[in-house]
Amino acid sequence: MWDRILSDARDEYARFLREQDAPTASFLEIGAPPQWSAPVSAEHDDALSASRPSVTFPIAVKDNIAVKGYHLSCGSRMLQDLVSPYDAAAVTRLRHAGAQFVGKTNMDEFGMGSSTDTSALGRTSNPWDTERVAGGSSGGSAAAVAQQLVPVALGSDTGGSIRQPAAFCGVYGLKPTYGTVSRYGLVAYASSLEVVGVLGSDIDHVADTYRAMRGEDAQDHTSVAVPGEALQPAAADAVKTIGVLQGDLGLDESVARNYAATAEALRDLGYNVVPIDLSTLEYVVPAYYTIAAAEASANLARFNGVRYGHRPVFSENPEELMRQARSEAFGDEVKLRIVLGTYVLRSGFQDQYYTRAQKIRTLIRRELDARFGEVDLILSPTFPVQAFRHGDQAMDAFQQKVADRFTGTANLAAIPALTVPSGLEGGLPVGMQLMGPAFSEEKLFAVAGRLATVQPVVFPDGSRSFDEWRTANGAGGGA
Amino acid sequence: MYQSFVGLEIHIQLLTQTKVFCNCRANFGDEPNTNVCPVCMGYPGVLPTLNEQAIEMAYTVARALNCDLNPECVFDRKNYFYPDLPKNYQISQFHEPLGRNGYIDLEFHKKKKRIRIHEIHLEEDAGKMIHAGDMSLLDYNRAGTPLLEIVTEPDLEIGEEAEVLLQELRRMVRYLGVCDGNMEQGSMRCDANVSVNTRGAGLGSKVEIKNLNSSRFVRKALSFEIERQQEILERGGTITQETRLWNENRDLTESMRTKESAHDYRYFPEPDLPHFRTSDEFLTRVESRLVELPAARRARFVADYGVTAAQAEFLCDEKSTADYFEAAIAAGAEAETVATWLAGDVRKQLNRHGVELTDSPLTPTRLAELLSLLAAGTIHGKIAKQVLALVFDEDKDPRVIITEQGWEQITDPAEIRAVVDRVLADNPKALGQIQSGDGKPMGFLVGQIMKATNGRAEPRVVQQVLSQAVSVSTIEVYSFGGAIAGHRQEDGLVVPGDLMSLTSLFERDPELPEGIRFEELQLGQFLSEEITPADWATLITRTATSLDRGSSRGIVVGHGTDTLSYTSSLLYWFFADTAVPIVLTASTVPTEAGIRSDAVENLRASVRTAAGEDRGIHVVYGRDDFFALNLKFERSGFTAVPRDSEDAPVADSEGFYAGQFRNWNADGLQRAGRAVAPTGRTMEPAALTQAMEVAIARSHIVKAYPGMRGETLIAIMDAGVKYFVLEIYDTGTANLRESPFSLRRAFAHARDRGVLFFCTSQQEGVVDFSEYVTAHALWREGAIPMGRLTTESAWTRLIAAQVEATAAGDTADDAAFTDRVLSLMED
Repeated sequence: MWDRILSDARDEYARFLREQDAPTASFLEIGAPPQWSAPVSAEHDDALSASRPSVTFPIAVKDNIAVKGYHLSCGSRMLQDLVSPYDAAAVTRLRHAGAQFVGKTNMDEFGMGSSTDTSALGRTSNPWDTERVAGGSSGGSAAAVAQQLVPVALGSDTGGSIRQPAAFCGVYGLKPTYGTVSRYGLVAYASSLEVVGVLGSDIDHVADTYRAMRGEDAQDHTSVAVPGEALQPAAADAVKTIGVLQGDLGLDESVARNYAATAEALRDLGYNVVPIDLSTLEYVVPAYYTIAAAEASANLARFNGVRYGHRPVFSENPEELMRQARSEAFGDEVKLRIVLGTYVLRSGFQDQYYTRAQKIRTLIRRELDARFGEVDLILSPTFPVQAFRHGDQAMDAFQQKVADRFTGTANLAAIPALTVPSGLEGGLPVGMQLMGPAFSEEKLFAVAGRLATVQPVVFPDGSRSFDEWRTANGAGGGA
Repeated sequence: MYQSFVGLEIHIQLLTQTKVFCNCRANFGDEPNTNVCPVCMGYPGVLPTLNEQAIEMAYTVARALNCDLNPECVFDRKNYFYPDLPKNYQISQFHEPLGRNGYIDLEFHKKKKRIRIHEIHLEEDAGKMIHAGDMSLLDYNRAGTPLLEIVTEPDLEIGEEAEVLLQELRRMVRYLGVCDGNMEQGSMRCDANVSVNTRGAGLGSKVEIKNLNSSRFVRKALSFEIERQQEILERGGTITQETRLWNENRDLTESMRTKESAHDYRYFPEPDLPHFRTSDEFLTRVESRLVELPAARRARFVADYGVTAAQAEFLCDEKSTADYFEAAIAAGAEAETVATWLAGDVRKQLNRHGVELTDSPLTPTRLAELLSLLAAGTIHGKIAKQVLALVFDEDKDPRVIITEQGWEQITDPAEIRAVVDRVLADNPKALGQIQSGDGKPMGFLVGQIMKATNGRAEPRVVQQVLSQAVSVSTIEVYSFGGAIAGHRQEDGLVVPGDLMSLTSLFERDPELPEGIRFEELQLGQFLSEEITPADWATLITRTATSLDRGSSRGIVVGHGTDTLSYTSSLLYWFFADTAVPIVLTASTVPTEAGIRSDAVENLRASVRTAAGEDRGIHVVYGRDDFFALNLKFERSGFTAVPRDSEDAPVADSEGFYAGQFRNWNADGLQRAGRAVAPTGRTMEPAALTQAMEVAIARSHIVKAYPGMRGETLIAIMDAGVKYFVLEIYDTGTANLRESPFSLRRAFAHARDRGVLFFCTSQQEGVVDFSEYVTAHALWREGAIPMGRLTTESAWTRLIAAQVEATAAGDTADDAAFTDRVLSLMED
């Protein structure tokens, strides 16, 4: 279906995107069809390329991933006018697989937030209820998928930035094993934690997109090759035991109810569901924010208005220019995290903060290693609450951070995690998280595929698929 | 007394093809901002990728500096904001430098030292910012080029040592081919840490000096800074821990920032680069990059080729020169000769043509060919120099040039014998004169023979054949003033004159070998105290000509007693490599009619020595054959009076007077050795006179005495003196205690101006600055110990060294000239 649209109905599809994006404003930029595809150089990838699936559908890309010719704003005034001179490695691989890139989606500024409301460039709303946020930081990508604008969107996940908005909007959200997808072209926020991942409404699309992107990349020395046995779709019996996280998880009632129902559904599907606990869970958020802020303080230092990006109208000297550019163009949340990161890295304080956080990270990783000796996968909630309302009253910035503990675990442990839509509670979607050991993506897809038979993806009433929209507009004819 | 501690942080730019974390060309001299990409420009989303060539070079340097190698190469981020730093953090190494605990061995002014290397780490360079009016311009070509930082322990004491370390390190990295070592262009940079404290009190407050873009500035800045801190401590002040900048226009350091405003670089592990593990295969590649380093090569050259330390230093300064030297030896040349020619005449040609040795038309094979033609007697010395000049001008092989120019000498004794016989037949009168004992016409006959062969006859063979033909050999006797050649007037005063005729004196001396003839030459009529540079130039030129011609069996120089120690040592520095004896002699009493003088006995003894086989420079006086160096005229209170007076010195039964000379530190002295000025002695007389006059004007002898003021020395320096021979006490002590009588300020003044102090002893001490704190302080002030040499011998060496440096054409810049002089002053 999509390959026909992408070859014969691009202008119409572009019109659909512009029109249907209006209520949620998930896109920062929708490209004109000629921008969607770019010539790719002859296949230079490794031997894996032969076994790569074709991904011939339109993809929206979070605005912190470089797509040549599109902006690369990261939702910030700082980079509002920056046009990327290059493609991210993941984008290049997807182009090889036949994908077209239709636009860039909104996000929390530099990925710092859980609502997409810290974006300096526009407000994105949840397609289920526009009074509510789409989640973040990949809120634009999640909303675009839920709104049925695109089947798949790329996001990035540093501490839950793919999985939490996926849960808020009722779609799949994959955070792959650290390093399996090249970070080249992903604007760095917290280098040791983040990955490029996929949001989608169909688990097969999500899986194929991931399969097309994964693999070692010479441009990213932290990238890794997926071991051979983990490349193939998982066998039906590959997952037997699923651990369900127990204890006082601080969940909203609706989320707790849904969580129990999902565990039950897995049991019904024949999985051996066992209770487990994670003693390190309460340390996840402090360790995560310490490391992320520290790395962010260095990663965002390059934005100084000298070579590109926001530049003040007048400055006395280069030093003043840098100070002014950063003062004017960064939002409050970004400034907060830079200051926090600078603080924890101060000489004499590193042992107390940064080094200790790294030790905690090691402990978390060890505990998960131990758990994966007992169970194949772990089920947890993605986020303790459902999509909250715009504005600070519903959940302030601090509460949002504390709520990152389920998702942050996977980033600290560098393991894959998948948010699966698990139905509606009170008219809003809920998503649960499946975590597995490194390189277990195929197992996650397999379980998600089976779960979809009992908890299928649903779309909000206000959304239309392209076909529905075309029929409603009476323009459908030829395609 | 104070102690100073100096540590260096040296950055060297690695000569990789591409930058350290991206594929841009590592060529920062290009059009600004052309060798850049999203990675080195710090665009959003890009990642660094590690250049393995840079790591390999880095480990090679660490290995060459004897470091413990880190099995993993791990990077950290160093955070600071600066417009030329694209990411506003620098990828560097902090927690785990790639090399640790190394060392480098140095020697400065005879003091050997091991300087420990604290660590070596790899990092990326920043771009370059230029302020132009109200604009600031940035060039990022350099951003991301690999930089290796070498941090030493504070084991250095003085600026000069730091300079030596940088020079040695520069040589080393050039040998390894990892850096061009150019400090002026910034491919090698240095910051210095200095702390001064009371001796024994350990490290003081650390002051960092930046902006040192030549090894000379490092030396000057450190000298200034040590002096500055010492003065503060002397006044009872305290040193502020701070960073200072060297101001090269004002020759001083200026405060830049104090510790309070120092950066906190907030180092943390670089998350974008995994650890690089050094595999066996990698380490094998590192090993294979190692070459014989300059220090080892110098030692080998001295041991294997018998060159001097100074020659080895010169030869090994550039790997290409050392390679050239060995190539010439492989092509059959003799090591010592190659070394001499490279440092002298070849260097002169290179300077004249402005080319590098390796780019010159003089290939090692051609040099070897030229030298073997010289050694075989195909050409003689003077022609060899002309051939050398033509090799540079015409780019042809020496043999071709010699053939083309018709310069091939006639060396066949039979062929020459035919000419000699003809000439003798044509000049019966001269022959008769010679056979009756007068050697004078020998020169005339040689001239005739040369004329008959158009100058192509080999002079030595001519001399041999002629000597055989007339059954005589020649001793040249130069009258060079002094009482020995003077005579007493009616009023009792001695006036200059000529040496007595030896021909008549030794007509039938049974102790002389058969057939000795004398060629007597009047080189000057003066008393020894009246000698001028021109007189010395004449003596040197004449001696050089005679030795080059090989025309005599020995040379005798009649001289006055007063300055004999100068002339004898000067002749040593110029002619220590002589193939025949050169004998200086003097007398106490002038020859007088009717009075027996020691002049006669001393001359007789000299002639015997000159006719002997003991080559080298001799000073024959009385019964003794003294060494030419370290000669001291020790007997005082002697006045020349008629012999029949009661006060007259008493001669023994054979007419010798008691020895009035002595050699100081005679142990280890030699009559023959290496000449300091083999090129200088071949200069034309006028040029040599000029060179000697300049050299002497620039040199000054000062004897330390209680109450001597440093200001006096400063005044002398300001009058244009560049080199002092400073005669101090014992094994090298002088007053450095802060007072008007301290020499310290004079030393500081001297170091600012590149003025050198060569130190000798007033008391027959061997000056090595070893024993006393004050002596070590002198070393710290940059004074150069002259070991066993006396003031006179050190001073004449200084003159010879300057003449040699002038002859080799090292006059372009003061610093280079002084470096050359310095190397010629060392053994």
